[in-house]
Amino acid sequence: MTDVLVVAKSVRREFPDGRYGTNVVLRDVDCRIASGARIALTGPSGSGKTTLLHLLGGLDRPTHGSIDWPGLGPFDELRPRHVGFVFQAPSLFPALTVLQNVELPAVLAGEDIQAGSMAARLLEAFGLGGLAGKLPEELSGGQAQRVAMVRALLLGPGLLLADEPTGQLDSRTAQLFFDTVLDCLEGSGAALVVATHDETVAARMATRWIMDHGLLFTEPWRGRMP
Amino acid sequence: MLALWVRGVLARRFMRVAGTAAGVALTVALLATLTLFLLGAGASMTARAISAVSIDWQVQLIPGADPDAVAKVLETTADVRATHRVRYADIAGLEARTGDTTQTTGPGQAIAFDDSYSKDFPAEIRSLSGSADGVLVAQQTAANLHVGPGDMIVIRRSGGLPPASVRIAGVVDLPDADSLFQLPGLPPRAAPQAPPDNVLVLPAEDWRKLFGSPDTPHPESTRLQLHVRLAHGSLPADPTAAYAFATGKKRNLEIGLAGQAVVADNLGARLDAVRQDALYVSVLFLFLGVPGIALAIALTMAVTMSTAGGRRIEQALLRVRGAPMRRILILSAAEAMVASIGGIALGLACALYFLGFVPGLRDNSASAGTTLLLVAMAGLLVGLAAYLLPAWRDARLIATGQARRAVIRTTTPLWQRLWLDLALLAAAGFFFWQQASTGYQIVLAPEGVAATSVDYKAFIAPALFWTGMALLTIRLSGRIIARNGRPLRALIAPVCGPLAAIVAAALSRQASRLTLGIAMTALAISFATSTAIFNETYNAQARVDAELTNGSDVTVFGTTDRPAGAQLAALEQLPETAAAEPMQHRFAYVGADLQDLYGIDPRRIGQATTLSDAYFDGTAADVLGRLASTPDGVLVSEETVQDFQLQPGDTINLRLINARDHQYHPVAFRFVGIAREFPTAPRDSFLVANAAYVGRMTGSDAAEYVLMRSRGDPTALARQASTELSFDPPLKVADIGEATRLIGSSLTAVNLRGLTTVELSFSAVMAAASAGLMLALGFVERRRTFSILGAIGARPGQLAAFLWAEGVLVVTGGILFGLASGIATAWMLVKLLTGVFDPPPQALSVPWLYLGTMLGLLIASVAAAVLFTRPRPGHDAERLRDF
Repeated sequence: MTDVLVVAKSVRREFPDGRYGTNVVLRDVDCRIASGARIALTGPSGSGKTTLLHLLGGLDRPTHGSIDWPGLGPFDELRPRHVGFVFQAPSLFPALTVLQNVELPAVLAGEDIQAGSMAARLLEAFGLGGLAGKLPEELSGGQAQRVAMVRALLLGPGLLLADEPTGQLDSRTAQLFFDTVLDCLEGSGAALVVATHDETVAARMATRWIMDHGLLFTEPWRGRMP
Repeated sequence: MLALWVRGVLARRFMRVAGTAAGVALTVALLATLTLFLLGAGASMTARAISAVSIDWQVQLIPGADPDAVAKVLETTADVRATHRVRYADIAGLEARTGDTTQTTGPGQAIAFDDSYSKDFPAEIRSLSGSADGVLVAQQTAANLHVGPGDMIVIRRSGGLPPASVRIAGVVDLPDADSLFQLPGLPPRAAPQAPPDNVLVLPAEDWRKLFGSPDTPHPESTRLQLHVRLAHGSLPADPTAAYAFATGKKRNLEIGLAGQAVVADNLGARLDAVRQDALYVSVLFLFLGVPGIALAIALTMAVTMSTAGGRRIEQALLRVRGAPMRRILILSAAEAMVASIGGIALGLACALYFLGFVPGLRDNSASAGTTLLLVAMAGLLVGLAAYLLPAWRDARLIATGQARRAVIRTTTPLWQRLWLDLALLAAAGFFFWQQASTGYQIVLAPEGVAATSVDYKAFIAPALFWTGMALLTIRLSGRIIARNGRPLRALIAPVCGPLAAIVAAALSRQASRLTLGIAMTALAISFATSTAIFNETYNAQARVDAELTNGSDVTVFGTTDRPAGAQLAALEQLPETAAAEPMQHRFAYVGADLQDLYGIDPRRIGQATTLSDAYFDGTAADVLGRLASTPDGVLVSEETVQDFQLQPGDTINLRLINARDHQYHPVAFRFVGIAREFPTAPRDSFLVANAAYVGRMTGSDAAEYVLMRSRGDPTALARQASTELSFDPPLKVADIGEATRLIGSSLTAVNLRGLTTVELSFSAVMAAASAGLMLALGFVERRRTFSILGAIGARPGQLAAFLWAEGVLVVTGGILFGLASGIATAWMLVKLLTGVFDPPPQALSVPWLYLGTMLGLLIASVAAAVLFTRPRPGHDAERLRDF
């Protein structure tokens, strides 16, 4: 098994803009993510961070270029398996309880063996133990985002992509939350890519990538974070 | 801002607008077609009714009155198209000699028409054999005297005049004899006058020679009538208004004539009879049409509500940005206007399309413009209400933070805590029992009285039942879904497989949304089922009625001289013949009353015609079995039983013509049962006996009629029979289609077909729309949720499981509750509308093909909703960004 999980070559993503125009969100992006990587993806709003995460997670297809996932096992019809995703917007299934939401990926994957106890342990670890029976609409934004993270971690992803995971948390909770995430990934070989505006979160990652007007800068950054 | 909002909604939320537009279109199209039908039905009934009247007025002159003066008053009073003079003379009897025997008849009448009478009144006289000119004898009289063209008969004149001999030139049928020989001036509720048994039609000149001067008739034995045909162009279209108009004209004429003549108003009498049918059409519209319109409106509301979640979020965002309630409502109204105008345009286009080919609609194109304008306004109101009511309620009651919630848990609704559903059903049962058990008449139009009435209390029971069933459907389906028990998981397991538990859990928290879909689908299926069963039962009964009038699919009518039974073997061999049975048609005196006597084989007659239980006092099988086991048995009418105080087993001596001497001789029969109706028989009084016994006792086993059952196409069978019998013109071949047209002049099969064509088409569409459209819109609203499911690992098949599970729930619940409610409603409608049916049905007729097609459409619409709206790969990322 190779150490490289994802390879993106000359990736370009365009969206239709108006009747005839196009909006180029990503321009010739090249990158690779190795196992165990800790990457902070920063950049101004609208620079293309979320689009890049979607592409890296297989949720979207590039207009030009290619993305391969050599280290993430077989494709599951549409996208690579073993990718965990935490979205910026609320993403819990509204008709399921917190525990059912967390167990859902395991149920869908047919891997419900011990998923229940693992889910309960993870919820406890993230300070959500008392919320297992609640519905998403009964949670605060921050609680919902932490539940989404637990859901993403349940099956032990090879690559975890998180889009502003601390956006709705106060700084102390964010700190604790991020500690727990890193603890969970420790020793698993999983790579973590976090799109964030939070400097404290970004500072704890080994690598920082910067997006600006659709361009990705993966070289070590020396200046002030945009 | 307004234009920007509308552009944005159309570009980004097109499905949402299209869903409401479809609902409005459905409402507008149904409302327009039903209203046009209702207006057109009255006009069509009036037109058909007056076309069946041969002589509009029969003006009988008082002895000594001046016919020219009366004719002049007529011309000035009414818009007269034709007037002819008809002379009547009472005769003591007729006599004819054939071979060694002399036949005589009782009293009769000799009449004479003036020139070109048959041109203006062609339905009054029909030539059967011989010449159409000269001395003509009525068919029955010819049979009684055993004479034909070329034979001599003697007229025994009244008033002491000597007998006179005339030579018969032809034999005729007088189809409208009841009207032709009526006595004008009888009080409105007088018993109907039977036409004379013996009739001779003389040329006017011969009549004058035999019965004196035509213009100074003898009051004791001769009469002069003016037969009048009016121009019908000025009659109002509505039967009630036309009746008032026609009777007003008649009264005006009577005043003008000032005692010179009395008037029989056949036109007014016919319109009087049609008024009740017109009221029944209105009642049918209320019973069958109004629920459909209510359902279409409810469907529009429900469809709009199924996309309310998205609008609620948009409104919350607007409020966050400081928009006042007025602005939010204006934006909602703008979206509603766009959806409504689109829906109205589509609905009116559909209505205009229906206008072209649905019977009963095209008769009404004159008033279509105004109707469609009013309907368009109603459609606009429905569209605005569907949007603005929820928007206003949300804006007032729901906090901004709540708007993002998809699973709103509420307490048990008040109506459920009060058990309103069961209370409504109990009340429906009570009202139904009260209505159906008291022999009520839902529509009352007393003869000769202008006022009419409809018992609107009859609508209470079905309305309460419908509402109660809808609420019960919501209660039961909601409880089953919310409990997330074994029934729910078992139901969705076939489409969810190992995901059944998690899908059931998800569904259990969306019970209120799902029960709305189930209730709407159940209501639509219930409406379609009840309408279809009622329509099928009505059509079946209309066919039974037509068969009763015609005798069978095809009947060959002959006479004693030319019996149709002689051709039985040839008729049985026709390719389209399924069964053919001979039936005797003779005449018999019951006391002094001449009645029709039908001689049958009770064990075989059922092969060629339908014999409903309603025709007999007891079941058809029992009564015919009794007749078969009693060779000299006879079935008589209720009227005869009462008149002669008969008891079962009594001997009745009837007088029948014997073939050997052509004289009436008494024959003993045994009374074994009562027949209320019988194929081809008149309604008032008739007799049914064993053909073998009648043949033995009269010396002739000739069967005058042959009843024929077709293999499926009565018209083709009639054509084949006519061709086969073309060598023998007196044999008349009639098929059931002619009878349908004849009886159709009252509550017409054609008119009801127009109503039910519209109803059945729309109800099938509504059933499909209520399930498919609501599911599809619900799925579209939750695309982001499904995209998240895809993002966390759900494969397409697993995503589809969530959608199919909802579809299965809506289809199963809708069909179960809908069919149960529909069948019960149809039964209730048939019981409440007994007056529409003649004879009353023995059982409901179920249109399996229609129901199968409708349910097939429903399932197809659900399948289409799932297949077309299921998330597709490649679009997830865009939806994941939506809030």
